[in-house]
Amino acid sequence: MSSNPQIPNPHLQSSSSQSLNFGSKGLRHGSDSEGFSMSRRDLNDDDARLVYVNDPLTTNETFEFSGNSIRTGKYSVITFLPRNLFEQFHRVAYMYFLIIAILNQLPQLAVFGRGASILPLASVLFVTAVKDAYEDWRRHKSDKIENNRMASVLVDHRFQHKKWKDIQVGEVVKVSANETIPCDIVLLSTSDPTGVAYVQTINLDGESNLKTRYAKQETLSRVPEKDFINGLIRSEKPNRNIYGFQANMEIDGKRVSLGPSNIILRGCVIKNTDWTVGVVVYAGRETKAMLNNSGAPSKRSRLETHMNQEIMLLSFFLVTLCVIVSACAGVWLRRHQDELDIMQFYRRKDYSEGQVENYNYYGLGMEIFFSFLMSVIVFQIMIPISLYISMELVRVGQAYFMIRDDKMFDAASNTRFQCRALNINEDLGQIKYVFSDKTGTLTENKMEFQFASISGVDYSGEKTEFYGEQGGYSIQVNGEIWRPKIKVQVDPKLLKLSKTRDDSISSKEIYDFFLALAACNTIVPIVVNASNPNEKLVDYQGESPDEQALVYAAAAYGFMLIERTSGHIVIDIQGERQRFNVLGMHEFDSDRKRMSVILGYPDSTVKVFVKGADTSMFKIIDESLNVDVVRATEAHLHSYSSIGLRTLVVGMRALSVSEFDTWQTSYEIASTALMGRAGLLRKVAINLENNLNLLGASAIEDRLQKGVPEAIESLRKANIKVWVLTGDKQETAISIGYSSKLLTSKMSQIIINNNSKMSCKKSLEDALITSRNVINVTHASEDDASSVALIIDGTSLVYILDSELEEQLFELASKCAVVLCCRVAPLQKAGIVALIKKRTDDMSLAIGDGANDVSMIQMADVGVGISGQEGRQAVMASDFAMGQFRFLVPLLLVHGHWNYQRMAYMILYNFYRNALFVLVLFWYVLYTGFTLTTAITEWSSVLYSIIYTAIPTIVIGILDKDLGRKSLMTYPQLYGSGQRKESYNAKLFWVTMVDTLWQSVVAFFIPVLAYWKSDIDGSSLGDLWTLAVVFMVNIHLAMDVIRWTWISHASVWGSIIATCICVIIIDALPMLPGYWAIFNLAGSGLFWICLLGVLIASMIPRFVVKMFMQHCKPCDLQIAREAEKFRNSMEITRSGEIEMNLPHR
Amino acid sequence: MDASTRTRSNSNKPKYSRFTQQELPAWKPILTPKWVITSFVIIAILFTPTGLLCLWASEHVVEIIDRYDDDCLPDSYSTNPDLYIQSRSTNKTCVRTLKVPRKMTAPIFIYYQLDNFYQNHRRYVKSRSDKQLRDPDEADETEDCKPQDHLSGNDDEPIVPCGLVAWSLFNDTYKFFKGNKAIDIDKKNIAWESDKKYKFGSNVYPKNFQKGGLIGGGELDDTKPLSEQEDLIVWMKTAALPSFRKLYGKINTNLEANETITVVIQNNYNTYEFGGEKKVALSTANWIGGKNDFLGISFLATGGVCFFVAVSFILLYVLKPRPLGDPTHLSWNRNQAAQ
Repeated sequence: MSSNPQIPNPHLQSSSSQSLNFGSKGLRHGSDSEGFSMSRRDLNDDDARLVYVNDPLTTNETFEFSGNSIRTGKYSVITFLPRNLFEQFHRVAYMYFLIIAILNQLPQLAVFGRGASILPLASVLFVTAVKDAYEDWRRHKSDKIENNRMASVLVDHRFQHKKWKDIQVGEVVKVSANETIPCDIVLLSTSDPTGVAYVQTINLDGESNLKTRYAKQETLSRVPEKDFINGLIRSEKPNRNIYGFQANMEIDGKRVSLGPSNIILRGCVIKNTDWTVGVVVYAGRETKAMLNNSGAPSKRSRLETHMNQEIMLLSFFLVTLCVIVSACAGVWLRRHQDELDIMQFYRRKDYSEGQVENYNYYGLGMEIFFSFLMSVIVFQIMIPISLYISMELVRVGQAYFMIRDDKMFDAASNTRFQCRALNINEDLGQIKYVFSDKTGTLTENKMEFQFASISGVDYSGEKTEFYGEQGGYSIQVNGEIWRPKIKVQVDPKLLKLSKTRDDSISSKEIYDFFLALAACNTIVPIVVNASNPNEKLVDYQGESPDEQALVYAAAAYGFMLIERTSGHIVIDIQGERQRFNVLGMHEFDSDRKRMSVILGYPDSTVKVFVKGADTSMFKIIDESLNVDVVRATEAHLHSYSSIGLRTLVVGMRALSVSEFDTWQTSYEIASTALMGRAGLLRKVAINLENNLNLLGASAIEDRLQKGVPEAIESLRKANIKVWVLTGDKQETAISIGYSSKLLTSKMSQIIINNNSKMSCKKSLEDALITSRNVINVTHASEDDASSVALIIDGTSLVYILDSELEEQLFELASKCAVVLCCRVAPLQKAGIVALIKKRTDDMSLAIGDGANDVSMIQMADVGVGISGQEGRQAVMASDFAMGQFRFLVPLLLVHGHWNYQRMAYMILYNFYRNALFVLVLFWYVLYTGFTLTTAITEWSSVLYSIIYTAIPTIVIGILDKDLGRKSLMTYPQLYGSGQRKESYNAKLFWVTMVDTLWQSVVAFFIPVLAYWKSDIDGSSLGDLWTLAVVFMVNIHLAMDVIRWTWISHASVWGSIIATCICVIIIDALPMLPGYWAIFNLAGSGLFWICLLGVLIASMIPRFVVKMFMQHCKPCDLQIAREAEKFRNSMEITRSGEIEMNLPHR
Repeated sequence: MDASTRTRSNSNKPKYSRFTQQELPAWKPILTPKWVITSFVIIAILFTPTGLLCLWASEHVVEIIDRYDDDCLPDSYSTNPDLYIQSRSTNKTCVRTLKVPRKMTAPIFIYYQLDNFYQNHRRYVKSRSDKQLRDPDEADETEDCKPQDHLSGNDDEPIVPCGLVAWSLFNDTYKFFKGNKAIDIDKKNIAWESDKKYKFGSNVYPKNFQKGGLIGGGELDDTKPLSEQEDLIVWMKTAALPSFRKLYGKINTNLEANETITVVIQNNYNTYEFGGEKKVALSTANWIGGKNDFLGISFLATGGVCFFVAVSFILLYVLKPRPLGDPTHLSWNRNQAAQ
């Protein structure tokens, strides 16, 4: 019955998703990874690492364990040059440059001089190397600081200071409060007599709450200085799972098992514990923190994929040009075959030596071949390799603006937007599907206790203010007032009942219910100072927000948890302190979907308390006891979840002595087992958790995040399909759907809830018919608000995904405006994303906050992580990370749109820019006997893409805005231009190429015809072409710039000026043949008239077409742009603007 | 106060600036119909007169061109021109008469024009040594000049100036007569001043030039430094296109209309080998350079096209107006209206 999906796609288990299990993650129903049990691999001696406690010599004798010094820097001074070059040449672009440069070094092919041919490669290499060196220097600096931090290490029975880098595996380390852990250590003892240590793992996973770690009973009483601990730890090999650890320790002949709660990882900080002592098991680069230090996943953007197709076309053009040139060269040589020997401008024969030989002539075939290679060298920039480098720079610039956008700053969590993947910025402008998690993504994941149903009685009455005037429940401890940190609204009726202590059944059940809430969890109370010196606040720290909410609720009703150690808990019950022994705990796992605690009462009775998801709990409730209560509770649960509350069911059972003994033996065997411990423990738990008394159910509200309904509305207007994938119950999901405006009352809902493949098939077929009918009706009634919503649950998906029904589901889903998937497991989430990704070309985006969303985030084209309450797993796997769901709107509609427009234009422009230059060179080659002479000096050829035209395209690619933020947010429909690929497609490419051809013809032939049969020399004409082409490409760009800031002005006109200066400098060097050409040229009127004619004539067709299209077929962007300028914000505000953030200024 | 500064320093909130929020003041030009029409009209108004001006200027240039390579070949050699041109003993003198069509005012430029001569051929362009031309100490810099680098392959005898460009120096000579009176040809200052000053050394003298087995063209006076060998300097400024002219000299007297001029040509230069053509050209000059109608015509054409486009756009805007920024034209509004 429980949803155990097949892994839909094997590569989901990629390396970065290994650390998926949240063993102690509390009550995320059905949301835990199935990888839980798999990652607990059994420990053989073969692949174990042996650590001799306090004996680093023996430990490191047999095995080469890594020391604790870390090196994140890639290079040293000596290795920098070779390694950096090696890495750089891994890129295709650089290889292309290199091959061209090498070809040019062959004397037969030396088109350019040595210097000129190496300059492009050298400049790119140099820029990259400087960037790498700077980054590496910073890494080295931080490494040095890290490595030289001090720690106290046990040497010769005394703790002595030692640098971090000198710590070895096997050594015993002492860490004091608020110090950082230098390496992964297994706890031996702590200042706490029960061996508890509190750690903050914010550096590791971003979670700020304290976590508890325990020292083992067997070691915690030893004083390491005096008492020589002699033990052997067998641990698993270093891995990157920060939530898992498996080992055992042999001490005094006993075998003790060690788990994730016994290890503290490098980077954690000790809190609320005076000192801890532990033994190093992993050091340096083998620590889990360092192993997790890998970069963001690399994806390739859709635009870039399309671009690569066009680059293939350009390569084809290049080859065509080269073939034409070499073929013509062959024909020319053949026709002049007999004249070549003494022809003044060829002189094939060398007469200077005694015997007459051919000079630099290798036969017709070879000459044609050389012509081909030479033309490849001359026309090399036809393939805009520098575009890849420009794109990287532009993306860095775009990321800079996204990160610094104060509209995407989350004040609550104090987080900025994060760009983790740098190469898919422009994909954000083309999204068609958004797959969203619910908890923590649409909602805040800040749980608030709302209602309770206790033994069939619903307490969902009117809420009152906080517990009278005092402001919440409080207790007296040593003359101080302790009160819970967070106040909870209470139901006065229930409060009164909970205070009365009589022997009535209802009062007893209420007592047990709240005791269960206070005890059955992993929450640790931390007492902190309040502003009032007589007051202390009890802060409940724990990993599950649901549990925190329940414990706070219990405290508000007078059941205040005030102490928890590994062995006991202390609960203040209505002013009376009671101590319970915690005899055992079965933590939450995703198979059972519940957890249990075995409590020993002061009167030595033993009870087991279980809480969990309703589906898993009702199976183990003893229904024979009280059917009515169960029915009533079920009804209450239904009503709770239908208003969007998260529900939990609590049960309890008293254990007889014999039952307890059986359990205890098997529990001990299981928890010290070396093989398959997790499985054994689960079996023990399942045996124990049955025939429970139903105590009641709780309802917790998870509030919707601010701005979610408006954001979803905007996304929908932008023609983005929003799918919600959640582990929650169907009712909860639907109610959240309504409150977030995902579902509207006008929509017709199709619900698929099936238990077998056949029934799935049938309901899918029915649903398809229904949807067609609804859509037909919709078309007739012209009302786009009414449409179809599909609600499907995880169980049905088990049968549908990876079967032939997938196709039908896709067909159905693509007809629906909204899709809600409930009760889905993490891998099913990925399966659903894959369902869309496989079948359409549309871009998908997945957004989520928890570890259960990791697989989905990695599967989607764009993954967005919410850096919220649930740790950083999602963020680590994501391409972009942000604080709130509503930031998705500015991210997609504003930044995504801009990024796409900018990048698309930049690619087309770069194609044009390079092709224009190549074509001008090509036309000239036709007038030189096909010998690849260039009138344009080699230096100008080289500088063309480095200086003359490089800066403006990058600046415009970063800064130009086709529309303001306000218009884009007001008319989300404008986002459609990216979805329809309006700014970059095959048609635009061809139009651009035709325009390029025309412009090159004008640029070449006007000067040629104007100077035909004149005494113009090559260099002068070359200068004219250089200037004409550079002016043209810059004016072309200027015609397309939409917003002229001073930076755009400076870059466009500045590069024209820079070009003039460069040409002047080149012509002022007497060793070059074109000495003084530009000055003589500029003295003649013909030059200026030519230049003017070229510029105007080349731009006219483009301008006419652009203006014509603008008037007759204006695109939405054009109209919005005009509206922005000519209509004041009248209409813009009319359609109701979404205020995404409170006004700041 | 203290608390607020503390929270601000802890905050990650991006600092506001118009730059980081992409709100820099910007000029957002939109080409309205008014602008479009105005710009086309302005181009038309600018280009039409300029075109006329160019045509007029070109019309005022008086040009006399005479192709002489075929006609100067004695009939006896017509099947074997190579023999004629390569022989030292044949009579190369050739007399041509030209008629002045219109009055030519001084200065009149004398050009020789070569057609089908690829002075921009890769092999040829590279075959020179600019270092050697500038500096007498760099006479050995003949790496690029092969096979015209050393005399008879002897490394101690570098050719100055080396390379094919210098070797192929044009060596036809012209003498002009009005009746029996010779017209003075001014051969000073026909090369660029900058070349004479910096590119060709005043202390570099020709050496071993045209002393090898194969003579490519003209010879140089060994006693004159390169900076004074203006014919060489002009020749070595390699032409951009395979049909080119080079300045031979200037005539500083006017030639009247219908005057007859006799040109005595020493027909030395071998273009018969590769089917080239030789012409002598006399031309006056003004700001547009030589006679060339192309620019004028193309400017007129451009102006005309712009005028036509302007008119079309006016019609378009009148017949099919579209209010700017009208939201009803937005695609999603249009779709709704259409249904």
